Amino acid sequence: MSKKSYIIGAVLVVLAMIMAMYSFRSTLTTYVGVREAKVSRRPVQVAGIVVKGSRRYDLQNNSLMFTLREDSGDEMEIEYDWSKPANFDDVTKIVSTGKYNPKRQVFVATELLVKCPTKYEQRVKGQ
Amino acid sequence: MSNIGQVMMWLGLIGVSVSSACYLVLCLKKENVLVRTAARMSFAGFALSVTVASMLLMHFILNHEFLYSYVARYSSRDLSLEYLISSFWAGQEGSFLLWVLLGSWLGILLMFKARDVEPQVMLIYNLNNIFLTILLIKQSPFRMLPIPPPDGQGLNMLLQDPWMVIHPPVVFVGYAAYTIPFAFAIAALWRRDYDGWIRSALPWTVFAFVSLGTGIIIGGYWSYKVLGWGGYWGWDPVENASLLPWLAGTALMHGMILQQTRKKLRKTNFVLAAFSFILVIYCTFLTRSGVLADFSVHSFVDLGITGWLVIFMMAFLSISLGFLIARAGDIPVSEKGESISYFSREFGLIAAIVVLCLSTVIVGLGTSAPLITRVLEKASKVSTEFYVNTNLPLSILMLFLLSFVPLLVWGKNSFSKLTRKLTWALIGVIVSGIITLLNGYPDLEVPLLSLGVLLLALLSGGAAGMNLFLATKLIRKRITISGAAIAHLGVALMFLGIVSSSAYDRSEKVRLVQGDVKSAMGYDITFNGPTFSREGKGMRLHLPLDVKGMGSQFGARPDIYSERGRDGQVKRFSHPHIRRGLVTDLYISPVDYIPGEKKSHSGSHLNLEKGKKVQFHDYELMFSGFDVSGMMGKKDAHDMSVGADIEVSYKGGEPVTLKPVMAVGQLHSPASRVKLPGPQEAYLTLVSMQANAKTVVLVYEGPEPAEDKESQEEPPAIIAEVSIKPGMTLLWFGTFLILLGGCIAIPRRWKK
Repeated sequence: MSKKSYIIGAVLVVLAMIMAMYSFRSTLTTYVGVREAKVSRRPVQVAGIVVKGSRRYDLQNNSLMFTLREDSGDEMEIEYDWSKPANFDDVTKIVSTGKYNPKRQVFVATELLVKCPTKYEQRVKGQ
Repeated sequence: MSNIGQVMMWLGLIGVSVSSACYLVLCLKKENVLVRTAARMSFAGFALSVTVASMLLMHFILNHEFLYSYVARYSSRDLSLEYLISSFWAGQEGSFLLWVLLGSWLGILLMFKARDVEPQVMLIYNLNNIFLTILLIKQSPFRMLPIPPPDGQGLNMLLQDPWMVIHPPVVFVGYAAYTIPFAFAIAALWRRDYDGWIRSALPWTVFAFVSLGTGIIIGGYWSYKVLGWGGYWGWDPVENASLLPWLAGTALMHGMILQQTRKKLRKTNFVLAAFSFILVIYCTFLTRSGVLADFSVHSFVDLGITGWLVIFMMAFLSISLGFLIARAGDIPVSEKGESISYFSREFGLIAAIVVLCLSTVIVGLGTSAPLITRVLEKASKVSTEFYVNTNLPLSILMLFLLSFVPLLVWGKNSFSKLTRKLTWALIGVIVSGIITLLNGYPDLEVPLLSLGVLLLALLSGGAAGMNLFLATKLIRKRITISGAAIAHLGVALMFLGIVSSSAYDRSEKVRLVQGDVKSAMGYDITFNGPTFSREGKGMRLHLPLDVKGMGSQFGARPDIYSERGRDGQVKRFSHPHIRRGLVTDLYISPVDYIPGEKKSHSGSHLNLEKGKKVQFHDYELMFSGFDVSGMMGKKDAHDMSVGADIEVSYKGGEPVTLKPVMAVGQLHSPASRVKLPGPQEAYLTLVSMQANAKTVVLVYEGPEPAEDKESQEEPPAIIAEVSIKPGMTLLWFGTFLILLGGCIAIPRRWKK
């Protein structure tokens, strides 16, 4: 292989990394509060609990709706298209990733993360 | 009380340290039979101590010795044998012990296989064992509780699956195995033997590839079968943590083959061997230290080993860098003048290594996003699109390479000779293209993504055709040399499966009311009404369905399991029903259950108010008072229980008093079930009570009388997602071929 091909290879790798960094920047989602989420133009993550009894299904639009309440007490309507399981019940801690739609006044979630205390979290009293 | 398990861990640490010291002496001085025997014996002592420690932990789990905190946290009396066994590795400490155990066994094998490089290889290998043993002593599975609870907390419901029993051991064999190429690489740098190590390390690298690969695939299969979201890979940090060393290790495997045959990539292979091992530790750090706590489905808690993990990572990084820098000038570069033709196997392999490395770096970048962004501003994560968008072009490139590179020979190739063979790739492209277009152009949100997916489908078809031809030819010739072709065919089929199941899956969400026929995705589905059963510490809601259509009729049984955790949250686990087919899978996942409204009771839950008679089925029930005798004289809240006196008469017969009991303590014992009077198998379980409101809630398990259904105002319903997933069989078959190909290749590489 000549020097030229090394340069071509290096340029291709650099290009790939630039593309990756661009994608990295554009898909990065930050944790914000409800207030900030309502004005953010980028996708964000909001954590909170599901308000008891607020969960309902809209079969026409294929979506799940519920109200999320964060620690500060602020609330927000969440719409989720259920492409992943909604394995949660009322009063479950949940992290939703998505974007706020100011027209419909609803946060359209693309991802829901149920904080299920898995094996790593268990602790016994007196330990 | 002495803690024999902990003593064993200390003995193990002493053994492995003495062994390392002896090997160090052997590395620095000349051969000494006595020292070598001491080194081997103390390593055997280490393996023995770790084995005894593991047997002890297993013994404690099987005998429900809840004095040990670990046993109390991850097992319980009601678990069946296989899940008791898997409780061993359900938690952090136990899984580290498993890792050390498997590592010590592999080490014994390595000790006798390493031959003349034994001192250096075992010294480096032992460093990792010392590191893991220290972590184990620091975070011991043998920690004891002041007072043993009456029962353990049990095993996470999601892990109660046969695949999850074998998944962790397989992954940890892989983790332990990736230490071996690293040890050989450092030993080679130490001894300035820059080519010889490849021959000894290659079979281990293929072995690590197969074992970690198997672990990853089992994980994906479990996710598809159990989690109910219809996918098999979610780019979760935990999944990525096993993928990263595997990708780097696969690059290493290809690099080693190139070096073995063409004496190229010497430096690259050292870097890759170090890279894949350090990634194992880095990923352990990512997933076990709590740095990703807010970003994964798994809520990790920092158990105080983060510092240690960082120290060890830095130590191994410095060892690798130190040796590489010290020997950099000494490592011979490939012969000058002998340039690589663009159309050769060498070039194809180099390109494949570059693509695999790029993928490793990109997935690593995404997984580390919370760490990187924490330094800059607020901790953030990347969404799954990042992984898809970046890996799509890389996989297109990979499949493009796979559709012709395996045909090429080392050195110069003439295109004209290949044209006839390339028709197989062309046939693959055409077949795949026809099938794809019959099903329509991939309809994704981003046009570029659709084009990429189409391209990937075509090239996967090409690679499949090409490698199918090659594999058939080689199997006929001699099966032992067909490993690579079979594995490459597997990669192509897997990607075909990925494309068809993710770009062509269709789904519909339906509300299925009990008794009504509803059609979804071409099937007529009837919900037959729910049944409950108590299971472990929670309740399983069975949702039997009758499914008719596409010339078949069958019963589907998805279910929803719910359990109240110690934090008071109710956790639900929806289990899908999968009807597998050669071409498509029918995947029915219950999303939610809506209990019907009844006058006196809802579903099979009975709310009884004190002193009020309630008619239910053929019974007349009355809650007459609490029985608090179970609270008296008990010091520990764990042992307390409360009962309710329920007067029941069956079909107007003589009333009897039933006394269902409920435990008060945090770790409740399996609640007692009381049989209702009458000939049928019907039971009551006390599930909750409100002392102030003087009400109790009971669960009825038993036959539902037919006439009772009509009295319901609204029958129960479920919301289910019905999806058709094409190509899943192809996907699993492809992954199987990848592993099979690896298995075929191991003995061949071992002999050489």
